[in-house]
Amino acid sequence: MNRTGAVTSVVLLVLCSLTAFVKADETPSKVQEQPTAEEIRFFENKIRPLLATHCYDCHGEETQEGGLRLDTLAGMLQGGNAGPAMVAGKPDRSLISNAISYRDNDLRMPPDERLTDQQIKDLNHWIESGSPHPESGQVGHVRPTSTIDLEAGRKHWAFQPIVAPDVPQMESSIEPGDDKSSASTSSTRQVAHPIDAFVLADLKSQGLNPLPRADKSTLIRRATFDLTGLPPTIQEINAFLEDDSADAFHKVVERLLNSPHYGERWGRHWLDVARYADSNGLDENAAHGNAWRYRDYVVQSFNRDKPYDEFLVEQLAGDLLVPDREPTTGHEQLIATGYLVIGPKVLAEVDESKMEMDIVDEQVDTVGRGVMGLTLGCARCHTHKFDPIEHADYYALAGIFKSTKTMETFKLVARWNEVAIPNAEELSRQQAHEQLVAEKKEEIAQRVELAKREVIEKRAAEISPTDVEEAEKPEPDPVEEKEFSETAAAELKKLRDELKKLEEAAPEISHAMAVAEGTVADTAIHIRGSHLTLGETVARGFPRVLVGDHQPSIPEDRSGRLEFARWLTSRENPLTSRVMVNRIWRWHFGKGIVATVDNFGITGESPTHPELLDWLAARFIDDQWSIKEMHRHIMFSETYQRASHPSQIEDVEDRAEAVNDWAMLVKKDPGNRSYGRFGVRRLEAEAVRDAILATSGELDRTIGGPVINTPNRTLVFNHTSQDATAYESQRRSLYIPIIRNHLYDMFQLFDYSDASVLSGDRDSSTTSPQALFLMNSPFMNEMAESMAVRILECELTTEQRIARLFEEAYGRFPTETESSEVIQFLRYFEEDDSQDPAEFEVSIVSTENSSAEEESSSDSRSEVSSRLRAWRALCQSILSSSEFLYLR
Amino acid sequence: MFLSRRRVLQQSSIGFGSLALASMLSSKAHSGEQTQRSHHPPRAKRVIFLFMKGGPSQVDSFDYKSKLQEDHGKPLPFEKPRVQFAPTGNLLGSPWKFKKYGESGIAVSELFPNVAQCVDDLCLINSMHGSNPAHGGACLKVHTGSDTFVRPSMGAWISYGLGTENENLPAFITICPTLAHGGTKNWGAAFLPANFSGTPLGLASQSSEQVRVKYIQNREMNFKQQRAQLDLTQSFNRNFLASVGDNAELESRIQSFELAFRMQTEMPEALDLASESESTHKLYGTDHPVTADFGRQCLMARRFAERGVRFIQVTHSNTDVQWDQHGNLRKGHEQNAAEVDQPIAALLSDLKSRGLLEDTLVLWGGEFGRTPTCQGAGNNGRDHNPEGFTMWLAGGGVRGGIQYGATDDYGYYAVEDKVHLHDLHATVLHLLGLDHLQLTYRHAGRDFRLTDVSGHVVTDIFA
Repeated sequence: MNRTGAVTSVVLLVLCSLTAFVKADETPSKVQEQPTAEEIRFFENKIRPLLATHCYDCHGEETQEGGLRLDTLAGMLQGGNAGPAMVAGKPDRSLISNAISYRDNDLRMPPDERLTDQQIKDLNHWIESGSPHPESGQVGHVRPTSTIDLEAGRKHWAFQPIVAPDVPQMESSIEPGDDKSSASTSSTRQVAHPIDAFVLADLKSQGLNPLPRADKSTLIRRATFDLTGLPPTIQEINAFLEDDSADAFHKVVERLLNSPHYGERWGRHWLDVARYADSNGLDENAAHGNAWRYRDYVVQSFNRDKPYDEFLVEQLAGDLLVPDREPTTGHEQLIATGYLVIGPKVLAEVDESKMEMDIVDEQVDTVGRGVMGLTLGCARCHTHKFDPIEHADYYALAGIFKSTKTMETFKLVARWNEVAIPNAEELSRQQAHEQLVAEKKEEIAQRVELAKREVIEKRAAEISPTDVEEAEKPEPDPVEEKEFSETAAAELKKLRDELKKLEEAAPEISHAMAVAEGTVADTAIHIRGSHLTLGETVARGFPRVLVGDHQPSIPEDRSGRLEFARWLTSRENPLTSRVMVNRIWRWHFGKGIVATVDNFGITGESPTHPELLDWLAARFIDDQWSIKEMHRHIMFSETYQRASHPSQIEDVEDRAEAVNDWAMLVKKDPGNRSYGRFGVRRLEAEAVRDAILATSGELDRTIGGPVINTPNRTLVFNHTSQDATAYESQRRSLYIPIIRNHLYDMFQLFDYSDASVLSGDRDSSTTSPQALFLMNSPFMNEMAESMAVRILECELTTEQRIARLFEEAYGRFPTETESSEVIQFLRYFEEDDSQDPAEFEVSIVSTENSSAEEESSSDSRSEVSSRLRAWRALCQSILSSSEFLYLR
Repeated sequence: MFLSRRRVLQQSSIGFGSLALASMLSSKAHSGEQTQRSHHPPRAKRVIFLFMKGGPSQVDSFDYKSKLQEDHGKPLPFEKPRVQFAPTGNLLGSPWKFKKYGESGIAVSELFPNVAQCVDDLCLINSMHGSNPAHGGACLKVHTGSDTFVRPSMGAWISYGLGTENENLPAFITICPTLAHGGTKNWGAAFLPANFSGTPLGLASQSSEQVRVKYIQNREMNFKQQRAQLDLTQSFNRNFLASVGDNAELESRIQSFELAFRMQTEMPEALDLASESESTHKLYGTDHPVTADFGRQCLMARRFAERGVRFIQVTHSNTDVQWDQHGNLRKGHEQNAAEVDQPIAALLSDLKSRGLLEDTLVLWGGEFGRTPTCQGAGNNGRDHNPEGFTMWLAGGGVRGGIQYGATDDYGYYAVEDKVHLHDLHATVLHLLGLDHLQLTYRHAGRDFRLTDVSGHVVTDIFA
């Protein structure tokens, strides 16, 4: 609405200012200063008429399609949206030559009909001779559309150095003693936590008062889901409620941070950014049989609180950290580089160079948006339209990834790279096997020698004495195997069969998806993103707007990945820390300080609390990039612990007071931009499923390991569209196979990430298909039934059972109204069952066209008592309700 | 109450929401804001896309080439494309006879005797071209416009642009789609809000008799009991809403359960082919084993069209012989054509007789065509060919009985009035009242379009 308009005009302004700051020293094209009369004649006779007839209609004075005009020399040199149309003297690097050649399917000019061979020859000749033009020498400095003013670009907030700002002097909004779990030791109002100070300063400036801390049962539910993705148990809730010590909440947070389930939850957040999947997707959906090792690496890294800088360096260049490793060591670092390999690839792409550049592009895009918050991929075809990223910057980075071996082969069907990571046992088995193979080969070689000698002896015997003299001249014919005796041939065949069998029985060695150094080389600019039109070669390096004048040097014989990783994680890099703390904030609060978590560029949103963001970013680096420390900063703040509604405030007087504050907050800050209250939000798909499994008592908490039943590199489904992937597991959702192009449907319904493209900001939708899943899926029925069976087995009254269910599902007891409503429902359901037994049967019969999955679910009413059916329906209702799926 | 446009799209309670709906809501909130139901008056209200998976051959169906017949067995007299899927040999004349049909006198091969009867309703585009010669890339290209990146599918864009005309049914339904070669990407929403993705009914591996929307029926309790259960759930939901105060997402969640409850009756009713007359079944060939499977799919498509579903895709992908004859062209194409010919003709005539063809755009084609040169051990097959192929449109504001554009003398390259897949997308959107330049979505810092940076509307084919 108004806002869109505002953003557009800002973008336009920025664009204009970029254009205004033309970099004066860039005139790459060598334009002939003084064309000869003959050259001018050639232009006037051959070239201008050609351009006028075939090009001016769309690229002339009146119309400039794609921002390009060809009726002036300046227009050609400056170019349009896709960059300069022409590099004088270099037809093979000129977009116009490529377009008229019709080599590139996507860019063929003139669009209706190819020029004649002679016309093409003329135009190329003209460019080659330096494009002599009547305007030559008069155009002055021409700025090709591909260059930008870096100094102006550096003024963007995200590219400014991170400097920890002064914390505003604010007092805590909470009276000491108000809350027994606060860390207050002072007897006066305490000085606010830095996070709260920034947030409060902003709230006060708007005349808003934040809500106080939420009650303890709300807090423990919030924190437990947040850090582990699982609900708190009744015991955990009670322990917290009974703990009156000042640091009770701190203890809860520490316990959760030390839980192995913490890594499963937060590792999964990172996997969204790493676009993790157990299959390739796109065209050839081959199984990533070894991707799980990377997933487990991520989980363990979070559990061990591996410093984020180290975590990144390992993922980008782990192989280079362990150059002299033994076969059985350094596996973790190799597995980490799976990050670069697990992206989706068009494995059946016929054009191998296109495939290679598409894969490089996918990596640049993933690292760009995931780590740097920059949409670098936009600069593949042309200089970035908004951000100060030149076309050349893209190819400087692309050169690093192109020099990296991501693929074993690009030949159809292409194979991604894997490396052996044998353990000691596998290695010794492998060595023993290699020994056997060598022995067998030796045996074969000896047998061949013997057979050859037999043939030679036989030949000698057959030669008559008179032939001897003549035979001295030519070399004897080499012995061929077909001359071998039958016995020798048979024995050899047997030996070779044995070798073949032996080789086939090679012991399996563990492999990891991982990269290695490839053929190291700088890459040329791909004009318009096409590998068919290459421009200048660009030295491998990092975006110039960020490095300033100090481009770190990359050794000639190395890809530059390690240097890139080190540069990304250096203190001076303005993006890496900001982007990550913003992600952590997003995962805690449901929205980022920068709302566009994957885009910190000019088209991204500005931070709502820029100083807070910088404080967090500086803190993160000072804390040695500790993610767990960042959780503590955030979760110990009042901002994190606030109630979302006055009803969650324990103290009655406080509650009454907060009602007005809340009304003001809702009115003046409906989007909760200022964090005056905690935002209500739905659990993510995984947490929904895990919570249902945990509450029903069916959750299998096994950690780690492979999950797909399709062998590595084979297709998860072929042209028959039958997918054999099994989802029946009752393990945590982290261990559900992630099949690209055919995601587990429950995940898809609940806004799981696409798994083909990174996303640090999942949606949260409320759709009818979600409701249908909750109402009708066999999964929900089974889980509800387990829950019902368990509760009916307890020796309790009906009221007590209802209370227990509420406690387990919501972490609270039912109100009297709720309790009586439930009792009424149970009574109605059971009565209906007994009154109208036929109706249910009818409804079953009418569902003829049911899928196999749904038929296999438990059904037949005769097997399940009416009582259990009623309780099952109740449990399903509880598990489907907003209170179960949403966090306050 | 302030609802951002994006938020409304994400949270739309009906799950099959629309930009149109979002606009209505937001225009209520901000009077004066322009609604975006459509950019110009539409010529069609909905699309039925008959997708022939594998790549049917143009020179054996709708693009007759006398020169190909004459030069059978000779080498192709010009260069083959720079990138080919696999090597091919000399020219292979079509094994089928062509005949002229209708007032237009357009030649159609004997593979499609029934569709040929409808030729005066067809707008053949003989000059289609794409850029990817492999199934995966080409399927993604025809469905999403990109064989390089993950992008929303055409149906998702259209649902996003126009929403549904029946809020109890999805806006975008795809019947028996294939999982291979793009799979869900071909009906996915990518970065558009998830509710714009297609709702798959069955898969190519299933008989169309078994198709249904997942989780549409409860097998554990009767209707009354489920209503009672839903009342209880909704009471819980309202209590929770009250405990957090004003919350649009939780309100919309309550609505989503009610709609789901209604869909439970609406969807099975739409799929209930038993209510169709015997003559209709005969028309579609559901009574014959060869045509039954695809006939049912076409009949469902008509029923969805009647009920206001915006984009309906019907995929023909016989799991034994897709339209992908690298060898044994005759056998494979004959079988495929026999399965689809009568049902397609039935769909066209049925839509026409019900007055639905006027505002329903029917689109027919594969992910690419096939080479006029031969392939395979018996030199009796054809390779993939994205350089020139035929798709056709019918109804929905296009001129019937015309051939637009042309390939070369042998049917290899599109040469005259070329129509790229991007152009086709732009044209389909235009017919629906959407400007492909204006139908955008902001993602990762820029505005995306179905046609990316390309696309020209082929206005010459408009009625």
